[in-house]
Amino acid sequence: MNLLHWIPLPVVVPLLAAALALLVEKLVPRRVIDALAVLVTAAISVECMALARVAAAQPMAYWYGQWGPAHGPVLGISFVVDSAGAGASAFIAGLFSLTFLFVWHYFEEVRAHFHALMLMFCAAMIGFCLTHDLFNIFVWFETMSVIAFALTGYRLEDAALEGALNFTVINTIGSFLMMAGVGLAYAATGALDMALVGKTLAERHADVLACGSFVLMGTAMLIKAAGVPFHFWLPDAHAVAPSPVSVIFSGVMVPVGLFGLGRLLAIVFAGIPAVVSLAHGLLVPLGAVTAIVGGFMALQQTHLKRLLAYSTVSHVGVMLAALSLVTVHGAAGWLLYMLGHGMVKAGLFMAAGMLAAVLDSVDEFELYGRARDRPVLACGYFVAALCLAGFPIGIMGSGAEAVEGAAKGVGDDWLGPIIIISSATTGGAAVRAGVRIFLGKGELPQGRSTLPEESERGDRPWLLMLLPLLVLVVANLIGGLPLERMARAAAATFVHMPAWDVLSGKQAYAAPGVPTEVGGGECSGWLALGVALVIAAAQLFAAKWLKHRVLWPAHMSIKALRVLHAGRVGDQLAWLVAGLAMLTAGVVVASVDW
Amino acid sequence: MLLRLLPWLAAAWLMAVGIYGMVTSRHYVHLIGCLSVVQSGTYVLLLAIGFVWHSGPPIFYDHPPGTPAVDPVMQALVLTDVVVGAAVSALLLALALQLHKRRNTLDPQELEPIP
Repeated sequence: MNLLHWIPLPVVVPLLAAALALLVEKLVPRRVIDALAVLVTAAISVECMALARVAAAQPMAYWYGQWGPAHGPVLGISFVVDSAGAGASAFIAGLFSLTFLFVWHYFEEVRAHFHALMLMFCAAMIGFCLTHDLFNIFVWFETMSVIAFALTGYRLEDAALEGALNFTVINTIGSFLMMAGVGLAYAATGALDMALVGKTLAERHADVLACGSFVLMGTAMLIKAAGVPFHFWLPDAHAVAPSPVSVIFSGVMVPVGLFGLGRLLAIVFAGIPAVVSLAHGLLVPLGAVTAIVGGFMALQQTHLKRLLAYSTVSHVGVMLAALSLVTVHGAAGWLLYMLGHGMVKAGLFMAAGMLAAVLDSVDEFELYGRARDRPVLACGYFVAALCLAGFPIGIMGSGAEAVEGAAKGVGDDWLGPIIIISSATTGGAAVRAGVRIFLGKGELPQGRSTLPEESERGDRPWLLMLLPLLVLVVANLIGGLPLERMARAAAATFVHMPAWDVLSGKQAYAAPGVPTEVGGGECSGWLALGVALVIAAAQLFAAKWLKHRVLWPAHMSIKALRVLHAGRVGDQLAWLVAGLAMLTAGVVVASVDW
Repeated sequence: MLLRLLPWLAAAWLMAVGIYGMVTSRHYVHLIGCLSVVQSGTYVLLLAIGFVWHSGPPIFYDHPPGTPAVDPVMQALVLTDVVVGAAVSALLLALALQLHKRRNTLDPQELEPIP
């Protein structure tokens, strides 16, 4: 069977299903639409797995309307399916399927609108992962953004509005930058196919247009991926979005931004020395800073969804650093990490959503001890929190290990401790919140201010909410070993995607070799776990003592960090401009060096 | 030379003043207007990239194919950009309207942020 003609389906089918859901929403019972969404996304997930398997031998190019390179100037749009892209798509569709199970009966009042939006969201993300055309990637980027805005703000509650507005403003600026970047790339090369642009740029060497294009598109991807200093929108958006939407945001949307950055670095700008040295010289440290800022902000949160959102910032920082190494080992590491983190974080957001549904709160003090009688949920939550803290077994653990090995391989040994800090702070924060909520232990400070509370529809089947959470947590635990080799093979193709000459048929495809595993780093996982537990215990039982006696300088700097994060939309935009200026300066310095 | 640089400079200027306006904005509707200014910058940039001197529109209905014409690809991109901008502006204005209904202000400085 030729799978080539199946390539558009992962995008086309959810779009059609979205239209169908809207069309029949008044004719059929709600359950049918729920089931349709679950089944469609599950089927797409299976199909993407099959595509990933076939593409492991050789990436497959599909030209829409058969406007391929054979017909003179290249005007057509192509999807090039490699196993990393198809694998990520399979994960995306799978997570959507589980989320649809999770929201069974949730959104009765908005009828099928939620399902239609989510199905389009799924199609947009898959298109983003598979496309091989710069303008097309912008279109998916933008579709993804607009749907995300609608999903964040549609509840129109007090707390939701501002977060949704700021999220929309910041991300729209990102889209415009991306648009301008695509324009500059076209101005420099007269092409939009990624491989063709890459080839032409490599022949032209570094020039203003190419570097400018990278700065603009890179900034756009970093805004989506919430790297420091573009991350301010993320906690607001996650905190105000309904929890199933947060599941998707943290689990796949934010990491998918990094996926786009990876494509840019690996295909489009791989031939420009200034960009390559910029990635290594600036983006790796930027990732490290993101990891630390996110971690320490997570420690300060008591609103569970904000806590998890900051932890996403931190883990995205680790992924950004690994990705910017632009090596096969680095790519294997962040692919695994992305997968594992997606599962764990999605599970944790589902747990938060269940608490909001049955106990009408996601604040750890508000919920103090109130979830004692929910042992299964507690088990799921704590296992996920420990995975977040660096537990070395499972996909996320292997990912962290692989990232550390990859960093050592290129002489960036300092990245190891950064990963430990990231895991320990975010995991520590999650464990601390869990102990308060599920066990009712720990200090309970007086006179704290509470955030506006939100509740979610509670009369849903408890088992259907619990099941996806458990599936995700267990999948993360048992998936580590089987996925590790696959991730390395996928990473080899991801970093060495077929060049334009291969895609246009002038050259035969030569599969890149799959490197052997780099060992080491397992004890870092245990170390991170230990530190996380110490942090959690310290915050639970000795917070006051530590604050006044031992750690007051650290406390002051964390306070400063908090003030920095209390910015309004104008400040967030100012930071965005500063980040853009930083990248520009970086690329100027990198070109001069060369 | 200056004439050739002019659209690029105009695009950069529009984006810069738009973002400046957004950073200093005291009213969400004004902020959304500034966002449209930034977007206009991208329009100008894309049209400048696609522009070819001494050539007509890329429509070959009444003159033979092969006549010099401006680049239709860039115009297609601008069209997509316009559609996107309309969707986002509509959404933002709807959110701003709701915000005004509930909080009775649209000044970003007065809306207390969450640390």
